Amino acid sequence: MGRFLLRRLAFFVFTLIFTSLLVFVLTRVLPGDVARIILGREAGEDQVAALRVELGLDQPLVIQYLDWVGDFARGDWGKTFVSPRQDIREIVLQRAEKSGWLALVTLVMAVPISITLGVIAGLREGKFLDSLISLLSLSVVSLPEFVTGLFLINIVARNSDFFPASSSGIGPGTTFMEALPKLWLPAITATLVLIAYIARLTRAGVIEELKRDYVRTAVLKGLPYRVVVIKHVLRNALIPTITVIANSTGWLISGLVVIEFVYGYRGLGSLLIAAIENRNLPQIQAIVMVTVSVILVANFLADMLYSILNPRITLS
Amino acid sequence: MNETVLRVENLGISYRMRNRWLPAVRDFQVRVRRGQIHGIVGESGSGKSTVVQGIIRYLAENGRTDPGSVIEFLGRDLANASRQELQKLWGAQVSIVPQHPMSALNPSIRVGEQVAEIVRLHAGLGRAAAREAVIRAFQRVNLADPETLLERYPHELSGGMQQRIVIAMALITSPQLLILDEPTTNLDVTTEAVILDLVRKLIREEQAAAIYVTHNLGVIAQLCDRVTVMYAGEIMEEGTVNDLFARPLHPYTFGLLNSIPRPGQTKRDRALITIPGRPPSLTELPQGCVYAPRCPLAIEICRQPPPLELPAERHLIRCHRWQEILRGEVSISAEAQAGVDDIAIADLQREHLLTVSGLTKHFPVRRSLFDLLRGTSPLPIRAVDNVNLSVQKGRTLGLVGESGSGKTTLSRMIIGLTERTGGEITFMGLDIRNHVRERSKDVLARLQMIFQNPQNSLNPYLTVGQSIRRPLMKLLGMSRQDADREVSRLLRAVNLQPDYAVRYPDELSGGEKQRVAIARAFASDPALIICDEPVSSLDVSVQAAVLNLLARLQEEQDTAYLFISHDLSVVSYLADYVAVMYLGEIFEVGYGRDLFEPPMHPYTEALVSALPVPDPRRRTRPIPLSDDIPSPRNLPTGCRFHTRCPHKIGRICEDEVPPWRDEGNGHFIRCHIPLDELQAKQQAYAQPAAETAWGLMGKEQG
Amino acid sequence: MAQAEQITETEASSRKSKPLNHSIAATTEFLRLLFGQLQSGLGAVIVLLFLLLAVLGPIIAPYAANDQSALPLLAPGAGHPFGTDALGRDVFSRVMLGTQSIFVTAGTGTLIAVVLGAAVGLFIGYQGGLLDEVISRAIDAFLALPALLIALVVLGVVKNLDFVAGSWQALLADSSVLLVIALVYVPIVARVIRSSTLEVKTREFVQAAQIRGESRVYIIFREILPSVVPALVVEASLRFSYAIFLVASLGFLGAGARPPSPDWGLMVNENRRIYQVAPWALAYPAAAIALLVVGVNLTSDGIKRIVQKRG
Ligand code: SF4
Ligand code: SF4
Repeated sequence: MGRFLLRRLAFFVFTLIFTSLLVFVLTRVLPGDVARIILGREAGEDQVAALRVELGLDQPLVIQYLDWVGDFARGDWGKTFVSPRQDIREIVLQRAEKSGWLALVTLVMAVPISITLGVIAGLREGKFLDSLISLLSLSVVSLPEFVTGLFLINIVARNSDFFPASSSGIGPGTTFMEALPKLWLPAITATLVLIAYIARLTRAGVIEELKRDYVRTAVLKGLPYRVVVIKHVLRNALIPTITVIANSTGWLISGLVVIEFVYGYRGLGSLLIAAIENRNLPQIQAIVMVTVSVILVANFLADMLYSILNPRITLS
Repeated sequence: MNETVLRVENLGISYRMRNRWLPAVRDFQVRVRRGQIHGIVGESGSGKSTVVQGIIRYLAENGRTDPGSVIEFLGRDLANASRQELQKLWGAQVSIVPQHPMSALNPSIRVGEQVAEIVRLHAGLGRAAAREAVIRAFQRVNLADPETLLERYPHELSGGMQQRIVIAMALITSPQLLILDEPTTNLDVTTEAVILDLVRKLIREEQAAAIYVTHNLGVIAQLCDRVTVMYAGEIMEEGTVNDLFARPLHPYTFGLLNSIPRPGQTKRDRALITIPGRPPSLTELPQGCVYAPRCPLAIEICRQPPPLELPAERHLIRCHRWQEILRGEVSISAEAQAGVDDIAIADLQREHLLTVSGLTKHFPVRRSLFDLLRGTSPLPIRAVDNVNLSVQKGRTLGLVGESGSGKTTLSRMIIGLTERTGGEITFMGLDIRNHVRERSKDVLARLQMIFQNPQNSLNPYLTVGQSIRRPLMKLLGMSRQDADREVSRLLRAVNLQPDYAVRYPDELSGGEKQRVAIARAFASDPALIICDEPVSSLDVSVQAAVLNLLARLQEEQDTAYLFISHDLSVVSYLADYVAVMYLGEIFEVGYGRDLFEPPMHPYTEALVSALPVPDPRRRTRPIPLSDDIPSPRNLPTGCRFHTRCPHKIGRICEDEVPPWRDEGNGHFIRCHIPLDELQAKQQAYAQPAAETAWGLMGKEQG
Repeated sequence: MAQAEQITETEASSRKSKPLNHSIAATTEFLRLLFGQLQSGLGAVIVLLFLLLAVLGPIIAPYAANDQSALPLLAPGAGHPFGTDALGRDVFSRVMLGTQSIFVTAGTGTLIAVVLGAAVGLFIGYQGGLLDEVISRAIDAFLALPALLIALVVLGVVKNLDFVAGSWQALLADSSVLLVIALVYVPIVARVIRSSTLEVKTREFVQAAQIRGESRVYIIFREILPSVVPALVVEASLRFSYAIFLVASLGFLGAGARPPSPDWGLMVNENRRIYQVAPWALAYPAAAIALLVVGVNLTSDGIKRIVQKRG
C-alpha cells in the first residue's frame, strides 16, 4: 500500500511540475511580448518597458520560470495591472472559496443520487428502468451546461420565487448560509451533468461485477439475492467509483466555468474568463495552478481511500 | 446404503437466441448414488457444463430446462423447484467446486468470512462456532495454519491453496450432492494429483454423491466410478469406467480413447487415431446421429436419430451399430503404421543443429524504497539459469516443465524475442545474435516457431493466403506468383484444401488455424521449429491430428523440433529426446522412450507418478509433493528441488548443487543420489509399458 | 500416411471470401447492427441529417449569415421560420450555416486528434521502454487538466497576438479553435490507442511477424493497426461528441468563434439577454446543439456496444 501511494505521490509532484511548465509556456513564451499583451496596444513604450522589468522578462527563460515557480510557492502571486492594483493571491483564493461552495453543494447532491441510479440501472441491466435511466443520463450528458443553465433560469426561475435566477450579489463578505439560496440553481445545473457521468460509470461497474465468477459462487452458496448484491457485488463495484468521483472533479471544474458565467456567479471560473478578457496573464497562471492543485489533491485523496478499501492493492 | 441421490431423466436444456430456443442438451439422463463419483466427459461444446448447471437449476438468464425434464434429488423434484427452495438447497445439500478458484473467490472479502457465511446461513451457527467450523474444514483439506489463513485475501494465496479453500467451502455443510466442474484444469500436474487424491478421499468419507465434469479422460479413469461421454449435447455412451475404457462400444468413445497418447507410447509405435471434422454448432445439428458427419462407421441408417439403448445392465449407448461393434463385426481401423520409421537408439544420433550453452535469463526486479534506503538492490528473478542443451538435425527435443519452470523463457531466448543475459546459442554452426532484429535473413528463415494459441497466432485481418505468403516473399524472396503456388502446396501438406487461402481465420476451427500456423512456420524451409505448447489449447481429438501432422512433416522435411509442453504424454509421444526443467534448470535429459522407465530424477518421478493414466485398472499412486512451489525470486540453495523432494538425503541437498550423473545411453540425471540407489527407490513407481486392454484393441482391430 | 489424417476438415460453407468482399460484408453487418437498434439507429439518423444540412446549408439558407435586411425580433412565421434576432438576422439561415461551421471545426479537429493520437499511441505502445514511460507520464499529467481550461487559456492568449494578415501564423490563428480541439484530444486518443496496442502486441501473430524480421513500420501498420481500428472508431465518435460540446461552450464563453459568425454557441450567448422578447433566437441554436450532441452520443454508444460484443 505504501508503495502504491508513494508512486501516486511521485505522480502528483511530476504533474504539478509538468503543468507549471505548460502554463509557463502557454502564458509566457507563446505570446511573445507578454508585457505588450498585458497592457494592450494603446499603452506607451515606457509603461511596457517598466512592466517587463517588473515581470522579469529581461531575464533568460529558465531564470524566469524558476523565479515564477519560486514566487508562486512562497505565496507571492503578483498584482493586477489595472489600478487599484490588488494582490492576485487574495482575489484568487477568495474566488476559489466561492467556487468551492458551489462544488460542495453539487457533490452533496450528485454523489448519492448518481450512485443510486447507477446501481439500480446496473442491477436491472436491459430492463425498462435501466433503459430509462441510461437514456436520460445520456441525454443530460449531451446537453452543454449553458443550455441546461439557460433552460433552468428561463423556465424554472422565472416561474418560481424559490430559486433566484441570478447568483450575482455574492461578494467577498457573503457567508455560506447567505449565499445558499443563490447556489441552488447553479448547483443543480452542475449536478445534472455529474449525475449522468457518475451514474453511467457506476452502472458499467455493477454490470461488470455481476458477471464475475464469484457472484456465481455467492449465489450457489444459497445466499439471498439481497446479500449477494450488497455484500458481494456492491463492495467490489463501488470501490472504483471513488476514482470515478475523483476524476469527475476535472469535469466539475470545467462545468463550473460555464455555469458561473451563465449565472453571473463570482467564482474562480468567471474570474478566469474575466482574466482572459483583461489579458491578465499572472492571474490566469494563478487560477490554472490552483485548479490543477485541487484536482490533484482530490485524486490523491481518492487513491488513499482506494488503497485502504481495496485489499488487492497491498501486494501490487 | 446405495441410495440414489440424484435421478435425472429426459433432461433437455435450451437457450434462447434471436427468438429461437436452441436445444443445447437433449435427452440426458443420469443416476448418481451415495458415495459414487460420476464423471461427465466431453470436448468443448459437448454440453457437459450446461448439463450440471441445468441439474442444479443455475442457468444463464436466457436458458431453461425444457418441459418434461425430470430432476429428482433425494426424492424432491428439482426441475420445478422455486427459487426459494433452490436457495435452501444450494450450498447446503448441493455444492459446487468451480473451475477457476481465483475468480470464484470474492477478491475483497477475507477467505475465512467467505467460508463462514455458508455455515452461518445454513447451519445457523454463531460467529465463534462458524469460525471453529471453518478451521476444521481447512484442516480437513490439509491447509496448514488455518487460523492465519482465515484473515487472508484470495490474491495472497497460491493456486493450490485457493483450490483447497474452494473445496473446503463446498464440503463444509456436508452436502449430499457435490458437483465438481473441471476443478483441476488450470493446475500443474503435481498439484492436480494431490487435489484429486484429496477429492477422492473426502467424497468417500462424506458418502456424498459427486458429479465430476472434465475433458480429461485420465482424470475420469483415475477418479470416477461411472462415466457419461457427451457429444454435441447428447449422451453417446455411459457405463462403469472399467467397462467403458476396456470395451468402448460407441465409435466416438473409441476415437476419444485412442486419440490420446498413452504414457510411454511414441510416434514410432503407431499414429494416433484422429477424429476428422469438428463438432456441429447448435444451430446446424445433423438430422440423424449427431456424430454421423465425423463417424468412420456411418451408414445409411445413421440419418435416423439413434435411440438411447441399454445393451447391458447399467450401460447406455446411442448408436445404431453397437451390436455389430460388440460382436466385433465392424471396427475402426487404427492405423498401425505410424508413418514414422522406427529407428534404433544408436541411429538417433545426428549432427547438432542447435547448441545452447550456459543460457541464462535474469529478469531485473525494480528496487523498492526499502532497497533504496539500504542501498541494496533486490535479487533478480532467475527465470533460466545456465542451461545447456542441443537439438539434432531432423530430431525432436522435448522440454517438459510445470508453470514457472522457465521453459517458455528459454524458447523465447532461442527464437530471439527475449534477450538473454548470458550464454551462447549456436545454430547451424553460427553463433547467433541476441535479438531477432539483429539476426540475418537466413537465420530467421531457418529458425521458426509455432505458438500455443491458434486463436491468436493468425492475424484476424489477413487471409490465410496472405499469412502464409508473407514469409515466402519476405524471407525467401519469392515472386508473388511463385509464392501463391507455394501456398497451395503448403496448404495441401497440412491437409487443408488450397481454397483455404482466401479465407479469414474467423472462418476456421481451432485445429484448422493451428494447421495454417504450421504451414506458415514451414513456409521458409526451416531447419528447426520451436513448438511452444502447440496442442495444449486444442481438444484431444484435434490434438491427435496435429501431433500426427507434426510427426509426418518432420519425416518429410527433415526438420528438427524443440517441443515444449507441460504434458508428459504428449512430449514423450513426439520427442526423441526429453529434457525436464524445474525452476529454471534442467534436471534430467534422456531418450523419450526412457522417460517412463526408472531410474529417473526424483522430480521426473513425481511428474510421471502424478500423470492421470487413462486406464482405470492402472490406478496411479501419485507421489505427494507439497504444492508450495518456491518463488523464482527466492530460489532454494543447493538442489532447487530440495524443498519438495521426497527422496532428499540430507544437508547435502540443501548446500550443494547436485552433480550430473551419466547413466549411459545419453541419459543424464542431476541428483546427489547415485543412480543405482535411485533405481532401487523407484521400483515401486515403475510404469509398465505394457499394452493395456484398450490399447490392444486398437491394434487387434487395425 | 495415416488414413484418418487424410480427411480434410472441410467446412460446409466453402464460400470464397476476398479481402474486399470481406470488408464490404463487415461494413454491411456493422450498419445493420447500428441501425437495427432503436437508440443507435435514431442517433445515426440525426447525425446524418445534420451532415446533410452541413453540406446543403448554404443552398437551403434563404439569407446570408449577416444579412440584416429584415426587421429585428420578428417571431417565427412565413419568410423567417425561426424568426429574427435583435439585429434583424434570419435565425433559420444562421442555424443552417452554423451546422457547417461546427462540423468543420469539431470534425476536422477530431480527425487531426485521432490521426495524430493513433500514431503516437501505436508507436509508444509498440516501442515500450523509456520513451513510452516518459510520454505516457506526460500524457497522464496533461489529462489532469480539464480540456476546457486549456482551450480557454490557449485561445485567450492567441486572441491577443497580432500577426501580419496572410502570414502562416495568422492562418494558424484563424483556425485556432480547430487546432485547440486537436491539441486537447491528441493525448486522450494516444492513451486509449496505446493501451489497445499493448494488448494486441502480446498476441502471437505479432510475435510471428517479429521472428520473420519484419520492420517496425510494417508490424505497426500491417499487423497491429487493423486490430486497433475498432477501438479507434469508438474513440473517434466519442471525441467528436466532446468536440462539438467544447466548440459550442467556447463559442458561448466568447473564446471561440468571433461575432458576427453564425456559431451556435455564440448565438446562444448573444441572444440570451433578449430571451424575454425573442425566445426563438436562443431556443433554436440551443436545440440544435443539444440534438446534434445527443445524436452523436447515441451513435457512439451504439458503436461501442457493437464493437464490444464482437470482442
Ligand atoms: S449411429 Fe451411425 S453415425 Fe452415429 S455413431 Fe453409430 S455408427 Fe456412427
Ligand atoms: S539432489 Fe537431493 S533434493 Fe535434489 S533431487 Fe536429488 S535427492 Fe532430491
